[in-house]
Amino acid sequence: MIPSDHFVRFYNEVFKFLDEQNGLKPYYEEISRHQERHCLKLFMEKGLLGMEEYWGTIRVEENCVCTSYIEDGVRYSHMSRCPSLSKVLDSDAEPCGKYCLHCPGWVAPLMTKCGFYYIKYLRALDRPECYSVFSEYRDKIESIRRDLIRQGFKHIFSNLDDFAEVEANREIRHRIQKSDA
Amino acid sequence: MLRYQENNELHRDFHGTTNATLNYIAAHYGVDALKTILRKTGHDVYKSIREKLEKGDGSELIEHLNWFFYRERGKYQLTVSENEILFEVFECPAIRHLRKLNMEPSPHICLQTSEVNAGMCEGTPWHSELKVLGEGHCIQIFRKAEKDDTE
Repeated sequence: MIPSDHFVRFYNEVFKFLDEQNGLKPYYEEISRHQERHCLKLFMEKGLLGMEEYWGTIRVEENCVCTSYIEDGVRYSHMSRCPSLSKVLDSDAEPCGKYCLHCPGWVAPLMTKCGFYYIKYLRALDRPECYSVFSEYRDKIESIRRDLIRQGFKHIFSNLDDFAEVEANREIRHRIQKSDA
Repeated sequence: MLRYQENNELHRDFHGTTNATLNYIAAHYGVDALKTILRKTGHDVYKSIREKLEKGDGSELIEHLNWFFYRERGKYQLTVSENEILFEVFECPAIRHLRKLNMEPSPHICLQTSEVNAGMCEGTPWHSELKVLGEGHCIQIFRKAEKDDTE
């Protein structure tokens, strides 16, 4: 058994292998599908509050140093010390240079499926700090992306390009929420 | 002393992601590729354990097995003698958690143990062996080679 404490150091080895095979993206998609078991129902039924609930548990269990809040239909999250990358940097094995990419790699497809726009940004891939924003309002996330580009952020990830799918899934989510009400 | 001191909260759902990853790598790249990744994990991530084993010192390996299975509420028995570490797991915490998540344990799940252990022992006088006795029940054996008489 690889202890759950050491999973991310194994994950790091998986990423290095897959990167050599040019196989990261399909793997992220598989992990995203796997994560649906934990998140999909919660996010579809409770929206941003469901995200608070899920990542609130993760914050505790994974020992994250993270703050988040919801304001005007937007959920903001600031991870000031990511435990995952921190462990990978504190390892005797070489860190994968693309380690941070796994996070938007699984979160973005899940958000698209739940009908939310998502943007994640970070200053450096070897620094365990990042920001994420979630909303069903495309204009709000687009505005953040424009600002980030203006500010010179190099590492910006979002599902804005998948807007047609996000919009269609947002309608489905609204129907689910109405039927639950 | 453990190289990786872990003593705060646990996120056991990582066992689910590990399980999904084992299946994914085996299906897309083959079981040999999976073994290579796991063995490299044992060799590189657990360098500190391996380097001690190289010197004939099993102390960190013993501490590692004991601490992480204790932390995950495993049921196990650890028997240590001069040239052998015998670790019997009666209920694997990873498999127990997968069942809790209603996930089928990967057919490759025990490679986590056999290959990571083998990686830790690579280039050392120690050899590892895994005997799977049933679901969640195994014996992990680490045996130090006898010194060559010609030495």
